[in-house]
Amino acid sequence: MPINHWMMFGTFAEQRHFVYPSPETYRSGGAIINGNMAAYAPDGLAAFLLEKTGGLQYIIDPLTHAFQHTPNSVTDKNGQPKKSILRLAEAYGEPCASIVGDRPLLPGDLRDDDVLANFTKKCLAFQKTILSEAMASSDVIKYVGADLATLRPYALVAPYFYMTETTYKQWLPVAVRSIRLAQNERNGMKLFASVVISQGAMLSESASEAIVVALQAEDVSGFLVWIDELDEQEAGLTKLNALLSLTRSLRAGDKEVINLHGGYFSILAAGRLGNQAMSGVCHGPEFGECRSVVPVGGGIPMARYYMPLLHRRVRYPDALRILQRKGWLSSAAVFHANVCDCDECRETINGNIANFVEFGRGNIKEKRHPSGGLVRIEYPTGETKKKCLQHYLQRKNLEYRFADTASEHQILADLKRGRDELIDVAGLDGVAHLNDWMEALGAVDQ
Amino acid sequence: MFESELVSKVIDQLQREGFRVLTEVSNMGQSVDVVATRGKWVTFVEVKTRNWSRAIEQCQGHQQIADFICIAIASVSVPVRLVEAATLNGYGLLHYRRDQNDVVWIVRPRRNTEVWPPQRKYWATATRKVAYAN
Repeated sequence: MPINHWMMFGTFAEQRHFVYPSPETYRSGGAIINGNMAAYAPDGLAAFLLEKTGGLQYIIDPLTHAFQHTPNSVTDKNGQPKKSILRLAEAYGEPCASIVGDRPLLPGDLRDDDVLANFTKKCLAFQKTILSEAMASSDVIKYVGADLATLRPYALVAPYFYMTETTYKQWLPVAVRSIRLAQNERNGMKLFASVVISQGAMLSESASEAIVVALQAEDVSGFLVWIDELDEQEAGLTKLNALLSLTRSLRAGDKEVINLHGGYFSILAAGRLGNQAMSGVCHGPEFGECRSVVPVGGGIPMARYYMPLLHRRVRYPDALRILQRKGWLSSAAVFHANVCDCDECRETINGNIANFVEFGRGNIKEKRHPSGGLVRIEYPTGETKKKCLQHYLQRKNLEYRFADTASEHQILADLKRGRDELIDVAGLDGVAHLNDWMEALGAVDQ
Repeated sequence: MFESELVSKVIDQLQREGFRVLTEVSNMGQSVDVVATRGKWVTFVEVKTRNWSRAIEQCQGHQQIADFICIAIASVSVPVRLVEAATLNGYGLLHYRRDQNDVVWIVRPRRNTEVWPPQRKYWATATRKVAYAN
């Protein structure tokens, strides 16, 4: 089975990336679409799925956890619920509709079976219909000729809630009840449960085991997994082992497990080396390999170049320093032989290594510093962001295929080469994750 | 002492030494506190009234652009570890002496050999554009 390659739909500006490097890139997986986005712009998403991607598979993340956080995570500057979240709340009905933007959803709000049944029914109906009906009613459908059933999502996702080590005892029973109630609404479609938990819950043996045992016992086809802010490059062995243990337990019975925010470690885990510890891995077009469950602000954007040997995105100045010190910026040929020979890099470098600056080009804008003075900040240009992103997507595509088809020896050789070649310039901190990945995946370095 | 005051003192000193000086110059997403040029040579100065270890990190990000890289501090005494780190990396170290109200060289910078000419050229062009616009 190939590793299912999923990508998170972020913004409409990014939709062209779902057919890059080729329209086939995401055929083994598809697009994960946030529920609020589907609620807000169903026609645009229908056009994206039908016209831009030629019928890509999709899953709608119902984003039910959004209602359980403090309201300021779903409200705008004026304290009003964001329009997309409001639409989602309207689609789900009570209790979300009356509390959105006012107070967090609590387990007690869903204690009543009728309330939870109604909420679950609406949540699944939303996923079944919001995009499939928009696609069915579009002008394009007559040329595609698909019926409503084929336009539906790859799987339905039962309502779910973010669980921490301290809250899982309250939320887990609600999640289990909602999965059971969702059985009545699946109409023969695949039903997925979600494991959206804190790192503490993942690391706690009792919490993790309770969650796995409870959810594995339910009649679901698969799981969406999202560990809050788990950065595979910084995680260390304990967390990586805990992630593997969690996903392998969920995989029992050959259930599908998709890591919603995973990097190369997850890709390897889903491949031969990890003995298919996951069935699929999803990432965003840019920032999706690690994400906080409660959204946080961005900071100043910086151009980042994906370093193939490190399997991580690195700030452009750091990438430049590493490559320069290795002598890999001496010519285009040296660069392609040692760093990257993807189509984007070949096109950008175009035989002249000086063109590597295109991955770091920016526009300088003056901003008022809190101290009162003016600060000049360089923001990456649109073209720079596009180049960095397309290089990243090319590499990701290669990574999925490599993890799928390469031998254990080849995969390890690649990881070791990254570690051994770059430790002198990136430092131990810069390469230690490669060691941890090898060890977690049971491939002890010789 | 505010960082802006220290910046002024450093500028005065560098101008006395014949440098042309710019402040808050952008470089690959960072902002360099002081850029001093003399002839074809470019010197970057990171000014710190505290947390000089952060300055060392920032200086690393300048190595593909600047011929000389310096740190300016205004502490009462000069930390030995900073002198060692600056010397090891080839960075210059300027110290503002409150009692004397002057800025002196503690360590002279060594010429940085890691400049990558295409990035330097790109930076120089972008910086000139901003200077003209102002």
